[in-house]
Amino acid sequence: MVGLSHYLVLSAALFTLGVIGVFVRRNAIVIFMCIELMLNAVNLAFIAFSRYLQALDGQVFVFFVMTVAAAEVAVGLAIIVVVFRSRQTVRIDEINLLKG
Amino acid sequence: MPESYVPIFVFLVVNVAVAVLIIALSTYLVKRKPTAQKLMPYECGMDPFGTARKRFSVKFFVVAMLFIIFDIEAVFLYPWAVVFKDLKLFGLIEMVVFIAVLLLGLFYAWKKGALEWQ
Amino acid sequence: MEALFFYLFGGLALISSFFVIFLRKPVHNAVALIFTFFCLAGLYLILGAEFVAMIQVLVYAGAIMVLFLFVIMLLNLEEEEAIEGRGNKFRRWLGGFAAVVVFLLLAPVWLMQALPVVKGTFPPEKVQELGNTVWIARLLFTDYLLPFEVASVLLLAAIVGAVFFAMKRM
Repeated sequence: MVGLSHYLVLSAALFTLGVIGVFVRRNAIVIFMCIELMLNAVNLAFIAFSRYLQALDGQVFVFFVMTVAAAEVAVGLAIIVVVFRSRQTVRIDEINLLKG
Repeated sequence: MPESYVPIFVFLVVNVAVAVLIIALSTYLVKRKPTAQKLMPYECGMDPFGTARKRFSVKFFVVAMLFIIFDIEAVFLYPWAVVFKDLKLFGLIEMVVFIAVLLLGLFYAWKKGALEWQ
Repeated sequence: MEALFFYLFGGLALISSFFVIFLRKPVHNAVALIFTFFCLAGLYLILGAEFVAMIQVLVYAGAIMVLFLFVIMLLNLEEEEAIEGRGNKFRRWLGGFAAVVVFLLLAPVWLMQALPVVKGTFPPEKVQELGNTVWIARLLFTDYLLPFEVASVLLLAAIVGAVFFAMKRM
């Protein structure tokens, strides 16, 4: 029988993988993808709780998380594109100045 | 209720299996005699020119970005359409406000020339 | 039955998210991430969140990852080695350490067998009667009306920000 804790462990594992990715990778785009992975791990926890607590609010929350993720991706990738056009790199070690 | 999605799952599994099978068969059963002509990328019959690794224009990005935002708007419209009859005028007003705010964004993009392809 | 699909989708999601982190080419990372999103959609279906599962495919796999692939091709980074650098020992250790810490912080969920809380007002039978989408829509457009309208302002800000950055003359 699959219980709530199974889903939470899976969610924790996915979140941890996202954290490792943020630390290990240097490519700003891939780091962004790892952040998406972490957001999805949290979404999974929301849905699992919504099922086991028999409340639908968790699913509505996931809906808003997705909206925020879409807005974040649109702006974040635009920033990455602008940084690349002025610095010619997406290595986050080299993007260390706010002023271009 | 999740049980009713099992046919879709079976369909996906069969799809993947057939695709893998076809690619595997055509990889391992075929005799290969590569020549320069055969290995050339196929571009509708013309000889390829330039590199395929050219950078895209940033205009593609602007279009994809606007697509995401208005995709989210469309996603909000689905549940709204399902309960529209229950909500009556109230539902109409709240959705009109929502769309009006997003229209402001569309006008901004229009003004900035994000919709021009020049 | 449920256990079988849980382990199938959960295992595939874990494996493909390993690929998201450790494959070297950004395009491969993106495709692995799309696969992870599909597996998560499968898990949402098992959990009875049908509407969210469809939205997951539509928004994450269909729109957000498309934008990621666009940007990867737009920038078209040639030298992967130059970006990632050869094996940086310190960073590997830092990553491993962070992983252990985060996982230990999240680990208490193992010990949690039953939650001593009041159940909500949406048992599966009641949801099934009208369908998942109807109930979510009712919640969204009544109880969560203000977040819904604020979401439109957030999206407006996203449009303005992204268009401003993308149309900036260099």
